[in-house]
Amino acid sequence: MTEKSILLDVQHLTKYFHTSGGTLHAVDDVSFQIERGKTLGIVGESGCGKSTIGRTILRLLEPTSGKVIFDGTDLTALSKEELRKMRQQMQIIFQDPFSSLDPRMTVSQTIAEPLKLHGMIKNKAEREKRVLELMATVGLAERLYDAYPHELDGGRRQRIGIARALAVKPKFIVCDEPVSALDVSIQAQILNLMKDIQEREGLTYIFITHDLSVVNHFADDIAVMYMGRMVEKAPAEELFEHPIHPYTQALLSAIPIPDIHTEMKRIVLKGEVTSPIEPKPVCRFAARCAYACDECMKSEPELINVSPGHWAACHRFA
Amino acid sequence: MGRYTNLMLEIKGLVVEYRTDDETVHAVNDINLWIEKGKSLGLVGETGAGKTTTALSILNLLPETTGYIVDGTVSLDGEPIIKKNREGKSVPALLDSDMQKIRGDKVAMIFQDPMTALNPIFTVGYQIAESVRLHQKCSAKEAEKKAEEMLELVGIPASRKDEYPHQFSGGMKQRVVIAMALACNPALLIADEPTTALDVTVQAQVLEMIKNLRDKFGTSVLMITHDLGIIAEMCDEVSVMYAGAVVEHGSLEDVFDRTRHPYTRGLFNSLPNIKDRTARLKPIRGLMPDPANLPMGCAFADRCDYATEKCRGEKPRKQWLTDSHFVACHLYEDGKDEDRL
Repeated sequence: MTEKSILLDVQHLTKYFHTSGGTLHAVDDVSFQIERGKTLGIVGESGCGKSTIGRTILRLLEPTSGKVIFDGTDLTALSKEELRKMRQQMQIIFQDPFSSLDPRMTVSQTIAEPLKLHGMIKNKAEREKRVLELMATVGLAERLYDAYPHELDGGRRQRIGIARALAVKPKFIVCDEPVSALDVSIQAQILNLMKDIQEREGLTYIFITHDLSVVNHFADDIAVMYMGRMVEKAPAEELFEHPIHPYTQALLSAIPIPDIHTEMKRIVLKGEVTSPIEPKPVCRFAARCAYACDECMKSEPELINVSPGHWAACHRFA
Repeated sequence: MGRYTNLMLEIKGLVVEYRTDDETVHAVNDINLWIEKGKSLGLVGETGAGKTTTALSILNLLPETTGYIVDGTVSLDGEPIIKKNREGKSVPALLDSDMQKIRGDKVAMIFQDPMTALNPIFTVGYQIAESVRLHQKCSAKEAEKKAEEMLELVGIPASRKDEYPHQFSGGMKQRVVIAMALACNPALLIADEPTTALDVTVQAQVLEMIKNLRDKFGTSVLMITHDLGIIAEMCDEVSVMYAGAVVEHGSLEDVFDRTRHPYTRGLFNSLPNIKDRTARLKPIRGLMPDPANLPMGCAFADRCDYATEKCRGEKPRKQWLTDSHFVACHLYEDGKDEDRL
């Protein structure tokens, strides 16, 4: 086997929030690696901790414990100033293209801002040139240079968000539900754009989404989260063909398929996600799981290697 | 359309505009829709296609100061809701008070966001019982009992009837809304993106429930969604809307297997294929035209690979290809049912 080049190595990442009701385990002991130029999809439902992972990796939220090793540097050990410099290499694209843009800044100001912040291009004329270049890359017409976000539709705003992230030539981008707010025809435009840019610039992505058909299309590996825990991780194709964890199986079977000849074998889960506040040390999915046994109520399953590249946290495979 | 006899809902030539001082938005432009009794029609389209406006017109709930029904008729179970007066103008056929009796009784609507459909200061039991009391001659006690039954029916223990909306999760709230909508056993249920705000596993639960209840009570359903997967699962027929017009209509087989309109094809191609994950998406280029400023010809022409001069100059007319399938596209002017995409 050839040596893989790991860009991001996340070790035992944990993020707790202290609430009046107790400690909320948003992300609980999550570890994974991403190879350079690849995409890791993180999927799960509302409140499973997927966005918190993305933000904690970039230290937009301070991790409670764990390490994030980015290109050989432990981000969790950096000082504020060191981190600020490091951020040039890691960017984020947010879900809501309406609230993630400053309404008082024009398209060009928004895209130029990170260039100024990182002192990358000091010459004004050159900076303008770079902004126009970026606008062309993401498919924004030149005439929108002085437009304000409110003049633009969701798809174009998301293109601004992408251009802003690309401005500083990062190696790594966290994409937090980048297409969830968009209509399907526009969603496809943006997904293709992000894929093209990745191939051209050799970018590494974390792609956070609740939309399983999108992540299947977009990611190389997929991690499934449930209540702060990573319950399964595998290459996309493997995960869709041989899901192991009962939660993953239910999640995949719940996708409505736009084809009238596909026989649906739907697993309808009972109940809903329980509270992630001070969870008991048992399997967090057990209450909704059709296969739950005594063992599941006694201890929490560890993520174990089931087959090459395929990991699952379920007592049935321990 | 003489072959449709037993119609629950029939909309003919509906035109709806929103007027403000600055502009007129042409939200719905001459559409026809019909649902046979006990059947489900899917209305699919993207943001701004006019789906919700169509639904609101059925209930006569367009915003009073800006929304205008300019033309067309709507009838429900043979009874006119919007009719033509002697001068040929479209007017409400019923008094407001009579319309109010129909809403919630004969026709019920489920909205996308369950939080805004529930009143935060009343218990869920009270809110379900309220619609029963308003529409059925029964005592408060009986209405309460009915509310308990409905809660159980949607999978919520009746013991939770005295709780307030904020004490329920999103999926549970949507179940409460469904319980409320079905409490009076409506003949027509309008579901406007009922699961869009929900997680997939909860969506699966809610869809399953709507399906079961529909089959149990024989309710006709107008399912408004942007998700072709939900249409495939829930509906008998489907109408595809674009810029305020129905561009293709047919049975599920017609629209899914014998897709004829370039826009419908574009919608399918934009979706990631779950069976072939590496296939590149083929998005529809460009954007939907501004409904305040629709082009003279086909509204889709600017985004269409097949557009000709004719498409830009002249609106395509509805063309029936088979007994059940029509498209509005110049490609099929000769009425031949063959794949031209």
